[in-house]
Amino acid sequence: MLLLFLLLIPFVGCIRIALQPSSAHNREAWLAVLPGLAGLAILGSLLPQINNGDVLRYQIDWLPAYGLNLVLRMDGLAWLFCLLIVGIFLLVVLYARYYMSPQDPVPRFYAFLLAFMGAMLGVVLSGNLVQLVLFWELTSLTSFLLIGYWHHRTDARRGARMAFVVTASGGLCLLCGVLMLGHVVGSYDLDAALAAGDTVREHAWYRPILLLIALGALTKSAQFPFHFWLPHAMAAPTPVSAYLHSATMVKAGIFLLMRLWPTLSGTPEWTWLIGGAGVCTLLSASLIAIFQHDLKGLLAYSTISHLGLITALLGMGTPLAMVAAIFHTLNHATFKASLFMAAGIIDHESGTRDIRKLRGLYSLMPVTATLAIVASAAMAGVPFLNGFLSKEMFFAETLLVGSSSNYWMAFAAVVMGVFSVTYSLRFIYVFFGTPARDLPKTPHEPPRWMRFPVEVLVILCLAVGIIPTLSIGPLLHLGAAAVLGDQTPHYNLTIWHGFNQPLLMSFLTLGGGVLLYLVLRMRFNLSQRSQVPWLRRFSGQRLYERFMLELRSTAVKLEKTVGTRRLQTQLALLLLACLTAGTVAATGNLQVWQAFVSSPPDVSFSVLWLIGCTCAVAAAWQAKFHRLSALALASGAGLTVCISFLLLSAPDLALTQLMVETVTTVLILLGLRWLPARRPHLGQSQSPSYQTRLRRSRDLTLAILSGLAMAALSYLVLMLPAGEGISHFFLERALSEGGGSNVVNVLLVDFRGFDTLGEISVLAIVALTVYGLLRRFRPAEESLPLPPQQTDLTDAAVRQTLLAQATTGYLMVPAIYLRILLPMILVCALYFFMRGHNMPGGGFVAGLLFATGFIIQYMIAGTQWVESRLHLHPHRWLALGLLLAVATGAGALLAGYPFLTSHTALLQLPLLGELHIPSAFLFDLGVFGVVVGSTLLTLTALAHQSVRGLRLSPLTPGADGTAQTKEP
Amino acid sequence: MMFALDQLILLPILLPLTLGALLVLLRGHEQLKFVVSLGGTLCLLTAALALYLLTDREVWPNGVGVYLAGNWMAPFGISLVVDRLAALMLLLSTVIASAALIFSRRRWSRAGVHFHSLFQFLLTGINGSFLTGDLFNLFVFFEIMLAASYGLLLLGLQPRRIRASMQYVVINLIASSIFLIGIALIYAACGTLNLADLSQRATSLDDTQRLLLETGAAILAIAFLTKGAMWPLGFWLPATYAAAAPPVAAMLVLMTKVGIYVILRLWLLIFAGQEDHWHTLSGMALVAGGLLTLCFGTLGLLSNLEPGRMAGFSAIVSSGTLLIAIGYGGPAVVSAALFYLVSSTLAVAAFMLLLELIERIRDPGAELLAQTMEAFDIDDAADESAGVAIPAATAFLGLSFVTCALIMAGLPPLSGFVAKFSLLHALLNPASASLAVSTLTFVIIALVIFSGLAAIIALLRFGVRVFWSIPGMKPPRLHLSEALPASGLLLLCILLSLGAGPASDYLARTSAALHQPGQYSERVLSSTPVPGAGIPDGEIP
Amino acid sequence: MEAIIAIAIGILFASGVWLILRPRTFQVIIGLMLMSYAVNLFIFIMGRLTVNQPPLTTTRNIDSSQFADPVTQALVLTAIVIGFATTALYLVLLLTSRGLTGTDHVDGREPRL
Repeated sequence: MLLLFLLLIPFVGCIRIALQPSSAHNREAWLAVLPGLAGLAILGSLLPQINNGDVLRYQIDWLPAYGLNLVLRMDGLAWLFCLLIVGIFLLVVLYARYYMSPQDPVPRFYAFLLAFMGAMLGVVLSGNLVQLVLFWELTSLTSFLLIGYWHHRTDARRGARMAFVVTASGGLCLLCGVLMLGHVVGSYDLDAALAAGDTVREHAWYRPILLLIALGALTKSAQFPFHFWLPHAMAAPTPVSAYLHSATMVKAGIFLLMRLWPTLSGTPEWTWLIGGAGVCTLLSASLIAIFQHDLKGLLAYSTISHLGLITALLGMGTPLAMVAAIFHTLNHATFKASLFMAAGIIDHESGTRDIRKLRGLYSLMPVTATLAIVASAAMAGVPFLNGFLSKEMFFAETLLVGSSSNYWMAFAAVVMGVFSVTYSLRFIYVFFGTPARDLPKTPHEPPRWMRFPVEVLVILCLAVGIIPTLSIGPLLHLGAAAVLGDQTPHYNLTIWHGFNQPLLMSFLTLGGGVLLYLVLRMRFNLSQRSQVPWLRRFSGQRLYERFMLELRSTAVKLEKTVGTRRLQTQLALLLLACLTAGTVAATGNLQVWQAFVSSPPDVSFSVLWLIGCTCAVAAAWQAKFHRLSALALASGAGLTVCISFLLLSAPDLALTQLMVETVTTVLILLGLRWLPARRPHLGQSQSPSYQTRLRRSRDLTLAILSGLAMAALSYLVLMLPAGEGISHFFLERALSEGGGSNVVNVLLVDFRGFDTLGEISVLAIVALTVYGLLRRFRPAEESLPLPPQQTDLTDAAVRQTLLAQATTGYLMVPAIYLRILLPMILVCALYFFMRGHNMPGGGFVAGLLFATGFIIQYMIAGTQWVESRLHLHPHRWLALGLLLAVATGAGALLAGYPFLTSHTALLQLPLLGELHIPSAFLFDLGVFGVVVGSTLLTLTALAHQSVRGLRLSPLTPGADGTAQTKEP
Repeated sequence: MMFALDQLILLPILLPLTLGALLVLLRGHEQLKFVVSLGGTLCLLTAALALYLLTDREVWPNGVGVYLAGNWMAPFGISLVVDRLAALMLLLSTVIASAALIFSRRRWSRAGVHFHSLFQFLLTGINGSFLTGDLFNLFVFFEIMLAASYGLLLLGLQPRRIRASMQYVVINLIASSIFLIGIALIYAACGTLNLADLSQRATSLDDTQRLLLETGAAILAIAFLTKGAMWPLGFWLPATYAAAAPPVAAMLVLMTKVGIYVILRLWLLIFAGQEDHWHTLSGMALVAGGLLTLCFGTLGLLSNLEPGRMAGFSAIVSSGTLLIAIGYGGPAVVSAALFYLVSSTLAVAAFMLLLELIERIRDPGAELLAQTMEAFDIDDAADESAGVAIPAATAFLGLSFVTCALIMAGLPPLSGFVAKFSLLHALLNPASASLAVSTLTFVIIALVIFSGLAAIIALLRFGVRVFWSIPGMKPPRLHLSEALPASGLLLLCILLSLGAGPASDYLARTSAALHQPGQYSERVLSSTPVPGAGIPDGEIP
Repeated sequence: MEAIIAIAIGILFASGVWLILRPRTFQVIIGLMLMSYAVNLFIFIMGRLTVNQPPLTTTRNIDSSQFADPVTQALVLTAIVIGFATTALYLVLLLTSRGLTGTDHVDGREPRL
């Protein structure tokens, strides 16, 4: 339970602070300190149990089905790391309180810092591997936010992005590794994984698992070749660097390797991968560090090299090396954090971090200088300081690697030691010499409490360095025992082991370092040198940047090639896909396709279709340049379809097709006026370009193939005897239960009334859409002027408005005759409607007919004349029709029957007497209403365009709305 | 009592239809329209919630509720069927619809006449497609959905929108014809349209009929895959998403999933039974298509800087992942896929809504400057070490964006991670030996992970440019009616991540039920109409 | 008979496909019309061909094999209506596109030559 608190406290604090106004500094600092203190207290209270070597667990089920639970598990190692995280956090907060400038919006800063601490604690406390990955990625995220805290600065943005991308990708690799590990172990639980070391090491997946997990760890702890993100992350405020890049985040990778040490280590692969990476890192980074001119940059590279040292120790895989690794982790955290803070102080007080400018600070800030010098001495591994001890253990281990003949490891260690002494000297040098004049600010001692954290840490360095067995011994034992268990080796932390090789190596490095430093200063004029020798070829950062750019540009190219934004290509692909899928499926079983004999073709039918097909092909041929004829031809094909419906005993279809045909044609005729004139201009029509010809042939092939496919399928179906379907049911029940002899109509309004309801709603929706579109419609400029027929001044009617034309007897005869036609059409519609249930007809046909009647009026007399006489409200027709249909259906609910159940009502009418009204009738009425409404809405909306066209038209001045009101 | 309960199945279709019609009548009164529309949608939400519970509590046997429209027994009449999956999808659609509606209140509902009617009709279509148990009726509801979506897509005419919708409309019209051809073939083969009946008859067909059925199914699949934006059929999607108004785009995100839903439903219902070459072949086809789609989506994410298109491509990524999962098969994988479906749909929809708000704080000039400085490695000379205070509204936007991005990229600790993890876990630890871990599995895992990485890179690029490149933060004007829906959707995602355990159990039940089509069809075909209908003493409606 | 209708469907569909692949909106709409004819016929013949036996049942007890399949007819009817609606929609859409973008190319912009 305490563990849960330990984990939650930081997040709670984070939220608490995030809600603060961005003004008050002290309050927030305290709010940030409290969680830290609480965490420290909890850790203290847990120490006794940990000391007895028992492992605390606390479990919350999260996703038990997949073996993903929140398991908090604390053993010695975890406890040690928790102490590190919380302790340094406290010091950093105290430091930041003075470091951050008053203008900074610190709530965000402290909130992120707390969130980060929480994530870190989550990593070290997790007892479930997936949960570990989860917090792992959280640390990446929060560190991204912290590095980018000064996000108005370019370097901060770049550094943050780089760090996040690298570490997050590592995290994804880690996730894969953990998933595979979980598959091998059979559970994601840490204890299970620790127990299953042997099975894992023998499993076929061992290498991929190791590689993936190593990738995660190495990216996180900035190991070669992923080290490049860390120096860029120095754009963060110094407290962040001191916390993340010395003590915590980069140590997460180390922690992971220690955690999984029992499971994964002890194989040549492990040694080569981890050890190799470590050695490369410690050499290259320590070399680069020498040539840095930025204090923080120097520290960053030295951090990398020290991490490399720890990694190398872990790679060796011997228990003693593990002890050394844990020891050095702690030591490095202490002295590096203090050094970062010191660098921060120097930066803060003098305004620059450039080693070339800084001189003689000792005289200006003696205390800080002393502290910094001690810390860097620890970094260099000077005796009586903690760095010395762990480094000597490292040396001792390097001697044991391989056989006694093979000294390459020891050699590398010495070289690295020499380099580290050199860059420590470079760091120290800023305190000596004559004080620099040209600094942005004149440096002075920082506030008392800003220096305090550094003091604490340096004192720790000394304590560990001088009385190791008392100060660090027990803690170290805790950690080591937790990892190594019963194979914990015996080691003694005394300073004096007598004259032996490690001691020799230490002094060798010290001497060599000083020598190298002097040589570099005298001969190579270090301060002017901006390039790192040997290593200038390789720059991880440049590789990263190029990779990112390449990624983007390749993606763009590829997307262009495998994708398209043109409609024609997409349609071609769609049809092609359809064709392929169909063919693959249809040729799955070939003996189905044996020859069938068709029934003898009936002559009239063949002739009919000869015409039909000719129409279709001709329409396809003409559609580009002769729209009107194409339309006529297409409707010709439509008529053929309609006649064959009639022949093939589907009168309803024939009727409907006919009406739809009519209305569609009228629609398109109304639309033709707004399309641009298109004539074959010579250049193109004579010699179409190669691409055009290619595209056309492609389309032609596609068309022919799909035509063939359709024909083949139809033929196959037609030759097949009809199976026992559901149709007989309808034929038998239509009259008896549906109450109508026209089965199709009964199907539509009763059996499958739901379809019809949907169908009319589609009509309604489309009508509304069309209305909405045309309200905003603006015709294109060149289609505004009236066609020549209407501007021919020999025709008297040209000077009149449509309304005037209609009233002054223009086209009188047809007008009269069509007005007489209107009532007839309406009667006809009524007739079709009434007989619908028993004979071909029905609401739909009637509706279209009814609408056509009005359209004719529009066509002959013009919009204004019609609308000035009768007010149709298409919207109402439409909505009421739909509502009526729905209500009819819902009426059944009242009677306790499902929606759309049909009933028959008895009505006593005065004249007609008793009358049976099936509810289907009302439903059909609804259909009628919707059809009338939507058709009228669409057509009138289109018709209105001509009016607007006239209004906008420059040629006919008298033709606007004002003119027509003046008409008698 | 049971009768009343049954009406719940009808409600998600009937209510929006009625409201849509009513809203046509009251023209003008924007406020009233909004209230009516929202009220209806919230009713639907509660209804969907009720259905969700009813199906899970198995109030109806096997948790399958059947509604015989017109009181005609299946397979003759049209039957509406609700099971766990349908209920889940209903819930999802109503949730997103409510969010989109509230969001549209301030601006978009005024952008065109009849916005609310069209919106309600769209809901009718979507819910109908989830509920119907009849193939042709499915077509009709698809048409309702599409017609309404055309109308909504064209809100507030702009050339860009017109261009996008020209593509969208034509492609969908062709897809509909293909749909019809498929239906016709299936009817010719089986002589029925009812899904349950189909799944029973499919087992007893002679060769020719079998062939027709498979051809029909293949053609049908193409139609749905076009809606589900499988490569190379999905190029219309990014353009459409980028062009649509935010609330409409949110609904479009949902509509992509309708295609996926239908594929899942039909495939498991009709073809899950037999383990023949056809089954494996089509499964492989789905997986291959899904992989290609995933690659294409990843490419798009990496290459596009425009947020609208990015969102579109992340939708493509998610449908690719889903197709892979469906094709790969196995109850565990499918249930993980469902989790992924829910979380990604919510996240992308929320992203769509957020985008408009984010657009308000964008400062293209500053972004360009920052971009070039990063590209040419210029550090600004004066490194003033005082941070920039972020206004609360911007902070809110940033927070929601980060949440959204985390879910879309599948990063911890939110539902996106849970979904991705459970998917990978299910892939790695198959229940039955028939789908043992193979090279294919590793390819899939690698691609899924990589698409996540691509999403990280793309969203990071976008986020950094938008939120971190602004010299002087000017607080955007946020309205509650706009901030609420987006954050609400994200909050749901967070709840989903917290309650991952129960949620995944529910989904496991769902997919288990899906893998027993026998129960489903048995339930549908055995349900009896209310006795005594059609006697001429009915009421006058 | 069957052969003829099959061929007819093939030709209608082929001309439709050819047209919808053309670059101009008017061609596309004519193509959609032809295509929908083909598809409607296709659905229709799924109930096989029957001459002069319209599904009009005047008496209660009948031999259901004597009639044409009403189901496909109902389906086609619905399909026709929906096709009509969508054609109208597309027509208006192409007009609007013509008005707003100034071109009648299906992509709303003239292709770069």
